[in-house]
Amino acid sequence: MKQYKRFLMMWDQTFSQILLGLVLLITVILLGLASPFFMTWDNWRNILDQSALQVIIAVGMTFVICTGGIDLSVGSITALSGVCMAVAMHAGVSVEMAVFLGIIAGAIVGMGNGLLISRLNLNPFIVTLGTMAVVRGVALIITKGIPIYGFPREFTWLGNGHIGPLNPPMLMAVFIALLGALVLNQTKLGNYTLALGGNEEALRRSGVAHKLYKLIIYTICGITAAMGGMVVTARLNTAEPLAGSMFELDAIAAVVLGGTDMKGGRGSITGTVMACLLLGVLRNGLTILSIPSYYQQLAIGIIILVAIIISELRLKNAPGHGNTIYLGG
Amino acid sequence: MRRNKHILAVFLLVIFMLTLVGCGGKSNESKVVNQGNDPAKQVSDPKVEENEKILMDQLQPLPEFNKGEKIGILVITLANPYWVTLKGSYELAAKELGVNVEVMAAPTEGDTKSQLETLQAMTAKDYQGLIISPIEPYNLVPGVVSANKKGIKVVNLGPGINVDAVEEAGGKLDGRITVDFAEQGQRAAEYIVEKIGKDGGKVAIIQGIPGAGQSEGRTAGAKKVFEDTRGIELVSIQPGNWDRNTAYNIATNLLQAHPDLKGIFCCNDVMALAAADALTAAGKRDGRIIFGVDFIDEAKEAIAAGKLDGSIAYSMDAYAKAGIILCLKTIQGMEVPKQVNSPLAVVTRENIQEYQNWH
Amino acid sequence: MSQSIEPAIKIVHMSKSFGNIEALRDVSLEIYSGEILAIVGDNGAGKSTLIKILAGALTSDEGQIIIGDKSYNFLSPGRAISLGISTVYQDLALVDCRDVASNIFLGREPVYAGFLVDRRKMQKEAARILEGLQINIPSLSTQVGLLSGGQRQGVAVARAVYQGGKVIIFDEPTAAMGLQESAKVIKLLLKLREEGMAVIVISHNLNQVFEISDRICVMCHGQVVAICKTKESLPNQIVGLIMGATVKEAYNAAGVYSDEAI
Repeated sequence: MKQYKRFLMMWDQTFSQILLGLVLLITVILLGLASPFFMTWDNWRNILDQSALQVIIAVGMTFVICTGGIDLSVGSITALSGVCMAVAMHAGVSVEMAVFLGIIAGAIVGMGNGLLISRLNLNPFIVTLGTMAVVRGVALIITKGIPIYGFPREFTWLGNGHIGPLNPPMLMAVFIALLGALVLNQTKLGNYTLALGGNEEALRRSGVAHKLYKLIIYTICGITAAMGGMVVTARLNTAEPLAGSMFELDAIAAVVLGGTDMKGGRGSITGTVMACLLLGVLRNGLTILSIPSYYQQLAIGIIILVAIIISELRLKNAPGHGNTIYLGG
Repeated sequence: MRRNKHILAVFLLVIFMLTLVGCGGKSNESKVVNQGNDPAKQVSDPKVEENEKILMDQLQPLPEFNKGEKIGILVITLANPYWVTLKGSYELAAKELGVNVEVMAAPTEGDTKSQLETLQAMTAKDYQGLIISPIEPYNLVPGVVSANKKGIKVVNLGPGINVDAVEEAGGKLDGRITVDFAEQGQRAAEYIVEKIGKDGGKVAIIQGIPGAGQSEGRTAGAKKVFEDTRGIELVSIQPGNWDRNTAYNIATNLLQAHPDLKGIFCCNDVMALAAADALTAAGKRDGRIIFGVDFIDEAKEAIAAGKLDGSIAYSMDAYAKAGIILCLKTIQGMEVPKQVNSPLAVVTRENIQEYQNWH
Repeated sequence: MSQSIEPAIKIVHMSKSFGNIEALRDVSLEIYSGEILAIVGDNGAGKSTLIKILAGALTSDEGQIIIGDKSYNFLSPGRAISLGISTVYQDLALVDCRDVASNIFLGREPVYAGFLVDRRKMQKEAARILEGLQINIPSLSTQVGLLSGGQRQGVAVARAVYQGGKVIIFDEPTAAMGLQESAKVIKLLLKLREEGMAVIVISHNLNQVFEISDRICVMCHGQVVAICKTKESLPNQIVGLIMGATVKEAYNAAGVYSDEAI
């Protein structure tokens, strides 16, 4: 009986992930049946390649959303960090240094977001809406609106090199996802990330430097966005000032679809990764089936809505669910 | 009960997916049905024939037709009437030439990443050739390389893919057909200058997305004419991002800053129409020249109605047909010219009657 | 009051204003280990302000907190906890979406390998602490939001105990609680006293105050108007004091007068 209860609890906690996994599996099977081109390794490599970028950015976003915040500036950060790397490389700086500088640029923007949000207690939506525009503006000013093209091989390798059957962005995504999961589930930072979203005042009263942790989390999001910028720039061998528009919405969609609560306090990296894969599979599959782009947007929109509805139903029922278990025991 | 709700939700999702897959099947079958222009209604037009002949001369000798080659086409976005019209032209030409085409697009005009992802997914299919029009010169480069690897021929139609970037990435373009963007800007600007006359005055340019080939080319062409003409003062170049609303606001602001503005060149018709609307709304349309590019249907009506002063046209049907022929030539292993240029026509209030049947 | 024992905490001449409103006026108070001190007073009497200053959530304008032989002008929440002052807030300050163990260890998670939170140890320790306090919670991996009011209170108390508090402050511990659950919480308070802690309880429930406390501190308009031994006081006197009567009036009305109480 006790085992049974345990199982039910676990089931409830991982429910959205199991559901998501199922949906992913069904989608893959259906698409595989519908098109002979879907189940080829070439195509899967495309899907993984495309999802990798989204995973990298969405992991940072998961942390921010777990605190009950949001970061709308990630798309602009990808552009800015790419532009910074490009300018640095064209100025003759070594590739390593240029990458480092670009990531620092992302970290600084993230830190700026974090400072405004934690110290001045401003609304994350408004703050990052502002930085989104500011950072995009800076990227446009630096480039004067013209894409910067042509980088050393070592740099473009980061976007489209080969490591066995995989490529560097995929490995980066795996690494960042694993690290993210470890940090979120097994470290103080992860504990406080969830606690910030659950009850920030409780964290403050427990004597935790909650503002510092918030700052760190927004900085992490800036860094992952900058890594996304590195991948985009390296892949296209071009730094575009307009790169990454809508990345923020894609990332938020993946995070929410992955079962992370927009109100904060609850979140999962596994869910985020699966959601990125699902979105990647869908986009690819709909293209393979030659479904017009109108329907692709419709499909992805509907799936996100369904995910939110399911997660809301689940949360609404959560306390009642718990009680029935106790009564049973 | 709760569990049931969850199961219901999953079920709904599955049904939804199935429906989509079903839709996909259907759209495959109906792909050669023309949506834009009904062939039965089309009247042969001397202007179009003249245009098409110039193009076809560049493409001699012609490849074999009716062999049912599969060609994938990637345009910029079907949220812009220009590309929707072109899609119709492609499908019409495909029917005429006996090939299968599938036209895909990015969701929005600025979504460079999705466009690349769409291209990459297309390279996983069994197309023999691809005709692609990139959002900006670099965003499709990796997709071109993967198409090359799979032995799919790649023809670039319209806005240019940066050839150096493709070569550096280890790929190549098999053919290129385009309109001379600079010439488009130049000829529009020449008309504006001529209309403003000897007294001269202030003019402005509304660009597309900065950095995009069409936008930069047209801007450069127009800018050169404006700057080289005595008495004409180019007061502003603003990015309208191909967007109606953005262009509307820019036009309003331009007029605020320069009440004596005499002419606006817009890098496409959508923006030109918006600018005309903005000026009309401000009650300052009279005596100002607004010129667009592309000659979309809405522009045709607007020019006839006197709302727009003119547009730069090239026959979409001829253009799309030439694109497919060029692609067929590469698939059949024939020599192709380095670049094919579509001839242009300047459509204005004065000569709009001659272009009523333009397609 | 026996003066031979050192107080666990001494508050000296503490004042605090919010704009024009004087929330605390020259409050001095001593709390001893092994006693339950009840603070009573009407709404706005300054009870909450006083304990928030003790807990480090607010900073006083004047006055000191003396612990051992050290004097502090102000505390931060972290400082207060490390000095052994733990607070069980009225709203409990629990993170509802986290499990029991995470809440008990919030801010003081044991780590291994430098940065990894030791969940197994947390579970074990949490079980031990809860058992020691005789708090019964079926599963430690349950989200706190799913627990009953009494169980939640138990988690909050367990956290305060784990923080190593020598002084534990309870703000309205039984408000909005059923009879059975209240009884459990009271048992818990008595147990903490038994273990030699100084317990401060803010309560509106005078019956309860008389049932458990050793001393009663009455506050009115930001001042301490009386500190009396519970055994030597009557509920009517305390009510009178709360309502703002002078000590004399209150005790006369009740028909008793105790010099010692003042």
